[in-house]
Amino acid sequence: MGASEEKVGMIRTVHAVLGALMLSLAAMMPAAAQEKTGLKPGFVLQAGTARIVLMRPSIRVGAQSTGGMYEPNADWTDQSRDNIGSALAKAQGGLGNSVRSYVEPVGGDPMKTAEYHALFETVATSVIEYQFFKGNRLPTKKRKDQFEWGLGPDVRKLGGLENADYALFITTEDHFGSTGRKVLQVFAALARVPITAGVHKGFAGLVDLRTGELVWLNADMQMGGDVRDADGADKRVRQLLEGFPGKPLDVVPAVAVPITPAQAAVTPPAH
Amino acid sequence: MRKLMLALLLGLATGAAGESGAIAGDKKPLPLPTYGQAYAPTTVDERGIWMLADEDERRLQDSPSRIKDPELNAYVRNVLCRTVGEDRCKSVRIYIQQVPFFNASMSPNGTMTVWSGLLLRVRNEAELGSILGHEFGHFELRHQLRSFRNRRTGSDIMAWASVLVRNSGDIRYNAWGQIYAFDRAQERDADLIGFQYLAGSQYPSSAAADVWDHAMLESDASAVGRRGSARHKYVAGIFATHPTDLARATYLRTASIEAADVKPAIVDRHRAAMAKWLPIFLNDQIKLNDFGGSEYVIGCLAEGGWSGALLFARGELYRERGNPRDLVSAAQFYQEAIAKGDAPPEAYRGLGLSLLRSQQIAEGQAALATYLRLKPDAADAALLSTLVSR
Repeated sequence: MGASEEKVGMIRTVHAVLGALMLSLAAMMPAAAQEKTGLKPGFVLQAGTARIVLMRPSIRVGAQSTGGMYEPNADWTDQSRDNIGSALAKAQGGLGNSVRSYVEPVGGDPMKTAEYHALFETVATSVIEYQFFKGNRLPTKKRKDQFEWGLGPDVRKLGGLENADYALFITTEDHFGSTGRKVLQVFAALARVPITAGVHKGFAGLVDLRTGELVWLNADMQMGGDVRDADGADKRVRQLLEGFPGKPLDVVPAVAVPITPAQAAVTPPAH
Repeated sequence: MRKLMLALLLGLATGAAGESGAIAGDKKPLPLPTYGQAYAPTTVDERGIWMLADEDERRLQDSPSRIKDPELNAYVRNVLCRTVGEDRCKSVRIYIQQVPFFNASMSPNGTMTVWSGLLLRVRNEAELGSILGHEFGHFELRHQLRSFRNRRTGSDIMAWASVLVRNSGDIRYNAWGQIYAFDRAQERDADLIGFQYLAGSQYPSSAAADVWDHAMLESDASAVGRRGSARHKYVAGIFATHPTDLARATYLRTASIEAADVKPAIVDRHRAAMAKWLPIFLNDQIKLNDFGGSEYVIGCLAEGGWSGALLFARGELYRERGNPRDLVSAAQFYQEAIAKGDAPPEAYRGLGLSLLRSQQIAEGQAALATYLRLKPDAADAALLSTLVSR
């Protein structure tokens, strides 16, 4: 319809930015400089005791067109949703923790739930931007071995979380490079222009429902594992849960924030 | 290679022109698509964008800015159904968002979003129907899918051009231009199909052009209020998402003159349906800091006579700008609003504050005292009482 001038301007800017992103031929990000995992110092999840609720994961799977556009694919997304769900249950079952999916109680407050989803997403992206990326740290996040983020203690009042200790949030986004994109990549390489094919990023976070604190966050902008099949989903979930507090999975945390013994002693034992 | 690129681009251009050319020059209107109930997407692309639209709709359902008032929702739905027909309108879910700008939008899966600023601006059911019909046209013609594919083709060309062609800036610029031209052609198609719905309904089809006439007048008023000058062009810029307001007003007016429909007048329920929300929407509008535009909108609403709510809103608008002369005018509007008998208690508050700032201390304090008497538990009662007992 008719947009007011401001609106048009805004859309235009967004398009311009999108265009720039799409066509940016440089490699997307300097992955080396970035940490991937944050863990609240001193936090230990007692394996075999935690009742974890998996909030509705945000999963997007599609292809990447030659020009870099995201082409959503409904079938792949459905498959991935199933695969990731069963892979998660397997991984956590191995730890002895119980994982169940969040069920909105009848007469619950879906608006509140949606707000907490949005809040988690905002907090998680802030952690990635202002803590994991060393060059961009906020002044209050510069101290060593510090991880202090949260959703506020009221999160435990959310209906449907009464009998749970932790809430697990998971977001993954996959754009599989199309044939056209890969051919373009080859030609571009001949012209000595680096082009990336495919976007595979995801993050997972664990929120302590008693305090509302974000106790663990893992983010990876270049993930492995083809979520469209069961084995790939297992691999993806392993990577998503890298550095998960509690008993380590078969993957050792790569760059987890180290916990010094002193701190571990000072901080109260985790519940 | 450059020639190849240009040929490709031309292909894209003629494709886009083909879409629009069918509408732009011709006399015969686009045929209405055949109606099918509960359409399900079929191709990979379409299923994909529907999936995204479904996710967005989940968010929209729980959005804090959504207006859930059943009466207002029923009214808007009713206007849509009267415009496009009882069977067609069943495939649409309407979400009214409290956003004070003039817009509405449509998702590929039949999610229609209507902003409160639109409801404030349209002056009758027919004008609202013309916009809702336009949005419905996007849905029925599957515009989002075609736009998505066009964007993909365009960005593919840009990507290849940037790799294979030296100094490919022109090609990429043109490809962007083609993408926007395609979208503008779709908007025009949607305008004209919306017009056809309107012409086939009980509403007068001239309302479609009226909407854009008023949009131009409002942007004129807004520009004057900001000490700028408004210019209306007929030809849209290369990166414009829509045809210009002037172009839309012109071709829709032409269409309505050709249609020459004479219909019996209907009982218009727009004002009645809006009555409860008018003060809230006006308050949102005033906060936009757009004096000229807001003054125009209030003036339009007052065409049938000034009500207490409108006078109060005008008082608030003037008091907010706050020049000494504005405070005098504001006080007058508040007093007139109070004299109408249906003004909210806040009229006394505004009156008191305007008078105090105009150095009419005693009268101002009296007005504030009246406000505090009428609304003793107001959020700002404690603060205002300090002004009264000064």
